[in-house]
Amino acid sequence: MSDARSSSRLRAPLALGATLLLAACSGLIGDRAADDAPVTLDPAPSTLHRLTQAQYTNALQDLLGSAVVVPTALEPDLEVDGFYTVGGSVGSVSARGVGQYETAAFQVAGQALAAGPARDALVGCTPAGDADAACAGSFLATFGRRAWRRPLAADELARVTAVATGAGTTLNDFYQGLAFGIAALLESPNFLYRVELGTPVPGQHGVFRYQGYELASRLAFFLWNTTPDDALLDAAGQGQLDGDDGLAAQVDRLLASPRAHAALQNFFSERFLLDQLAGLSKDTTVFPAMSADFGSSAREETLLLVDQLLMVENADYRDLFTTDRTFVDRKMASLYGVAAPSLTSFGEVTLPAGGMRRGVLGHAGLLALYAHPTSTSPTLRGKFVREVLLCATVPSPPANVNTALPQATTAGPTLRDRLLAHESVPFCAACHRAMDPIGLGLENFDGLGQFRLLDNGAHIDATGSLDGAAFANPVQLGADVAAHPDLGPCLVRQMVRYAQAAPEIPGEDAEIARLASDFADMGNSVPYLLRAVALSPAFRTATESP
Amino acid sequence: MRNRIDRRTLLRGLLGGAAVGLALPTFEIFLDAHGEAMAGGSAFPSRFGLWFWGNGIGPDPTQWVPTGTGANYTLSPILAPLAPVQGDITVVSGLQVNTPNTMPHGTGPAGILTGARVGPNGTNGVTLDQLIANQIGGTTQNHSLELSVDPVTTTPSYSQAGQSNPPETSPAALFNTLFGPTFRLPGSNVPPDPKLGLRRSVLDAVGADAKALRVRLGSADQQRLDQHLASVRDLEQQIANLQAAPPVLAACSMPPAPAAAYPDVGGLPQLSAISRAMSDILVLSLACDQQRVFTFQFSHPVNNLLYANTTEGHHQLTHDELGAQPMVQSILHTILGEATYFIQALKKVQEGNATLLDHCGVLFMTDVSDGKSHAVNEYPLFLAGSANGALQTGIHYRDLGENASKLGLTLLQAFGVAATSFGSDEGLVTQGLPALVGNT
Repeated sequence: MSDARSSSRLRAPLALGATLLLAACSGLIGDRAADDAPVTLDPAPSTLHRLTQAQYTNALQDLLGSAVVVPTALEPDLEVDGFYTVGGSVGSVSARGVGQYETAAFQVAGQALAAGPARDALVGCTPAGDADAACAGSFLATFGRRAWRRPLAADELARVTAVATGAGTTLNDFYQGLAFGIAALLESPNFLYRVELGTPVPGQHGVFRYQGYELASRLAFFLWNTTPDDALLDAAGQGQLDGDDGLAAQVDRLLASPRAHAALQNFFSERFLLDQLAGLSKDTTVFPAMSADFGSSAREETLLLVDQLLMVENADYRDLFTTDRTFVDRKMASLYGVAAPSLTSFGEVTLPAGGMRRGVLGHAGLLALYAHPTSTSPTLRGKFVREVLLCATVPSPPANVNTALPQATTAGPTLRDRLLAHESVPFCAACHRAMDPIGLGLENFDGLGQFRLLDNGAHIDATGSLDGAAFANPVQLGADVAAHPDLGPCLVRQMVRYAQAAPEIPGEDAEIARLASDFADMGNSVPYLLRAVALSPAFRTATESP
Repeated sequence: MRNRIDRRTLLRGLLGGAAVGLALPTFEIFLDAHGEAMAGGSAFPSRFGLWFWGNGIGPDPTQWVPTGTGANYTLSPILAPLAPVQGDITVVSGLQVNTPNTMPHGTGPAGILTGARVGPNGTNGVTLDQLIANQIGGTTQNHSLELSVDPVTTTPSYSQAGQSNPPETSPAALFNTLFGPTFRLPGSNVPPDPKLGLRRSVLDAVGADAKALRVRLGSADQQRLDQHLASVRDLEQQIANLQAAPPVLAACSMPPAPAAAYPDVGGLPQLSAISRAMSDILVLSLACDQQRVFTFQFSHPVNNLLYANTTEGHHQLTHDELGAQPMVQSILHTILGEATYFIQALKKVQEGNATLLDHCGVLFMTDVSDGKSHAVNEYPLFLAGSANGALQTGIHYRDLGENASKLGLTLLQAFGVAATSFGSDEGLVTQGLPALVGNT
């Protein structure tokens, strides 16, 4: 634990004794050594990746049409190392989840097979009878290649075709029968899990390379967060992905698509846990501005800014923390006290000059998410900066520690005053020093992200420090975060994590350091980083799975 | 009566008037045409439930522990809402989780439900309810049922290490699953939907796919796939039950449909309304024998739910509120009031000469004793129902400092699991708590 590698945000806190806690907190924070070692790679073992809910939904809409409504009651995503994609590499599917996947498969099949020109175009042939095996087979072969991200073997195709024709016979309806064939493909582990096992590399014992269809699958889910399209599968089938030039051509094609924008937004949504804004619990007596649509609006603001700056404009990643631009709808505009550019949708605004709200650290979504239902939490906000943005690990408090803060007093009315209790106990201070002084810089934003000058009637002091460097207000905090040496490398580390969709291993460290160095050299360009990760040896190589 | 024989087959035989000469379990043999038990007692299946709330009982155990032990005891202030059902519950006090308390809110559930240390990703083994479901849940429509009033994606129930069984959180969806279009009332002569058989043909194909895939995987992925296939088999069982004649059970009827949604009122979640809607559905679903094991989660560990007349979320209050924590206590009053509602709902259902509650054994528990210190001694626990006489009711049993795993072993044995030990490391026990074992 001598570096920042183990940036686990598992729900389960680390099991640490007091001594280790102190040692960890004095040694962990912000002291990641410069990596000058030669680049070596000890790749991760291959593993099954269960599709995340977002990937499952995207894939079905790609397969059956964007108008298809996919049920949202699905096996829950599991967050491991900060990402649902990583969680897909552990665990399985519950009995309940199997039932939900079944329900979803029949629902989307039923929608796609509703009589009409869309159905006829999808199926591609006119059935000669209720059990027309030729027509069913031709459709299931085409559909199956997209769904399973590889051509079906003859026995596999025969199996699902028999399901479809058998059902067609029983139900006296070709299309109702076909729905059962579609369900057989969609309930199969070959759809629900990305089966990327690698091919042994001749002469290199235990080393595997992702090639062909498996590499197409990896690329599509990393860069598009969905299943490969026909062009990518065709390229895979022709072996084009197995050479550097062919691979680069497909990576560039994928990155030029609007789907790459949505996929990067998904990365940030997972990284910042923005989906949790949907279930945000806020006391409306404390925050009258809280409403049912707050969470979705706040999430959209952050995702729109991420896309505009990082993908559309290819701006420096660090600008995300200093920019005076953002996107608001009427809800967010009224929360921020700016004029809404549109009555019906989001529009870009420039925040008032001299204001305190800058960059994503001034976004109401993050400020509300990393807070309590009735109050702010400088600790949670500081922990977010420390762990999510800078990739350091702050252990959770041990089980038997009293974490209660003293009550507000006349002499010490503010949360800052109360948090001083952490500082007075060395045991607490060791870790809280890494969080509280950052979060206190955001105290001008209440638990819903609204600007305020007073806390409990007293003037707010929003000074703080980040790794010993003092700042006077949230704007300076944003600038200090942007200038922090760990900011860029942390993004790179997390991007590799997300792309690999498996827990981090030490063998990737040198590769990550190389990518981080290149990222900095390329002006912290995120599209550059996406491309570099997709082309990196780490993304294309595996060891044998245990 | 604890068996894996396909009850539907047996019932079909009985209904057709066929003389069945096998040594049949009591339940099936002695049912008359009205589904009532013949004289002679407990012909109804035993059901096990876990009823869970998060964040403990506050800083003062004396607010929880009843005065007096045995049958003549007085309920404590926190347990006061349970007065109407005092004769049907057994309060178990003084037990403690002996495994190292390494994870606030995690050590307790793992300790009580697996007897083992908590793992890095939560409970690190198969929980008590699932062990019991493996014993008694095999022939019903659902192997087990997990619900949560608190709209989260996890429960304390684990079928495998590190991955919680996700709950249904919508009363409407719960109703649709259990009493929707596929539900047939006892005695209904509607032939099963032919699509049920076709759904099984899909699952057969899925099984064949998985078999072909499995041989290509490493052992870790094989285990994941095996778990997935176990889940597929649960669905097959569910469909097979829907194809068979519905069990003849007089107590089985349709619950009223719940509201389509329960939006927050005045910024507060409608916890009580949701809890009662789910309780009503669950109780009749048990009466229809759709499953014999359930987890009912009122609220999850570390939940920060907002309750009326409080100034902070529940979890935050357990840390911030001073003194005896009156607001936390008022929240507990609400929670245990809903627990009482559920127990009373079970008791209202007549099964033969007894009630559904008499055929249940429900463990009520939380994740810590004191939410502020995350203590796991003086663990707050109580049971409701006698599980067909296998468990004592109407007493306060106190055993200060005793290993809490003993309760788990007691429950496993009460439900016929052939276990001689429970837990591991500091949590390991080889004996239960004889005082809790019933007289039959």
